[in-house]
Amino acid sequence: MSQDSVPEGTPDLSLRQVAFARLSEGRMVSRGTAARLDYRRSGGRMDADNGSAQVTPEPGTGLASFGWLRFSAPHVQGEITNRRGTAWGGVDLITQRGDRARTERAEYDGDVVRSNTKVTARGPGYDVQGNGLLARTDGSSISLVKGTRGALEMEAGK
Amino acid sequence: MIPLLLAAAALPPGPLQFRAEGMRYQPNERRILLDGDVHLDRQDLAVTSDHAVAETADPAKKAPPPPRGKKKKGNQPAQATLGGQEVERFTVDGKVHVVRGQRTADGEHGEMDVPQQTMILTGTPAQPPVVRDGQETLSGDRILMHLDSEDIDVTRPHVVLKRSLPVDDNQKQKPASPVRIEAQNLVVHKAARLAKFTDDVVVRRGDTVVKSPKMDAHYDQDGQLTLLQMRGGVDMRQGDRRAVGQSADYDAKARTLVLTGDPKVYDRGDVLFGDRIDLYLDSHEVKVDKAKGKLHPEIHKDEEAKLQ
Repeated sequence: MSQDSVPEGTPDLSLRQVAFARLSEGRMVSRGTAARLDYRRSGGRMDADNGSAQVTPEPGTGLASFGWLRFSAPHVQGEITNRRGTAWGGVDLITQRGDRARTERAEYDGDVVRSNTKVTARGPGYDVQGNGLLARTDGSSISLVKGTRGALEMEAGK
Repeated sequence: MIPLLLAAAALPPGPLQFRAEGMRYQPNERRILLDGDVHLDRQDLAVTSDHAVAETADPAKKAPPPPRGKKKKGNQPAQATLGGQEVERFTVDGKVHVVRGQRTADGEHGEMDVPQQTMILTGTPAQPPVVRDGQETLSGDRILMHLDSEDIDVTRPHVVLKRSLPVDDNQKQKPASPVRIEAQNLVVHKAARLAKFTDDVVVRRGDTVVKSPKMDAHYDQDGQLTLLQMRGGVDMRQGDRRAVGQSADYDAKARTLVLTGDPKVYDRGDVLFGDRIDLYLDSHEVKVDKAKGKLHPEIHKDEEAKLQ
């Protein structure tokens, strides 16, 4: 083994205490951090610990009413080129508006986020639970599946 | 049934609990869809259905906030909130079942207006919406339930008043047939223990049919019918007998119909008129105050033979 060779499976890039930002047309559309991020050029695979990302939806989209959205998870794996990824170990979402959601594991596949584990979410005027999640990333549809329950706060009568 | 409809308390404030097989939130359409075995519960109100849709108010259309320094006063419209927006309407579809206190209602489609605190229940021509309370039932083309009171508005109601006929233990006779009422509209007022039927009112009891433009039904505190007041021209038919007058009062306990306002009674060839005509519906007896008329006893000989 030469001095430059590395074990198979070793990332091509390994970073600690990462911070990133993504700009689009002069606007920061997302930013995030991770305690560790490994990147492999093969398949564009990335593997991160204690990752978080904050997204600012474009005005007029389904998510715009939430304000910014911040995701975090202890473990994140993904294939950047295939727009596919998995987060687990307790995936949290908080929004600028005051929504909070949590599930044990979530998968991202193209334009859809899904979870087959229990989901809890609460925010202004609502508190819901579901046994699964299916959501479009543009925010046009957010579904709790496999059984859902919750409460809507109602004000006093007229 | 109507008296019991009057009996429950107004819907108190509180959270709306729900459960369903699935829930889909569509922010752009400002609505949330519940599908599969939907249950909605709020205090003493429970609604089940196959599907439900909650529609939230358009924030852009909301009224501007009050001027600075003016605090929000009471008596504001009721509002539910979801996802930071106010839920202003629920629509429920498919096997809609409503329970509130002792009252239940069934239909195929329901619309709950949160600010107005009303729920409208409709059905199909073959299966109209029905409200039940014990053995009593009320159906119609459209039933509007006020959620902040016990009042009910019914379009083209069909009412069966079984409890309007107390059985006289002394007579040991079989229970009399129920009173059935049809009309274009019905409004039930809780506080007054009053049900107001309007437009093309038809009352049927056994072989008796009474028609009138409008009728008020009064109840006692136990929910028993006490009085039916028909106004605006009354036409009663019972077998070969016909009676007319401007007004009529039906005493549920005595089972008598009292006609006033130029009353007349026709029985085959006989004609009687006077100041007031009392018709005893069970015995078929007639009492006329200041009676005038024409009688043809020979016409009734067959009746005498039957009696003998």
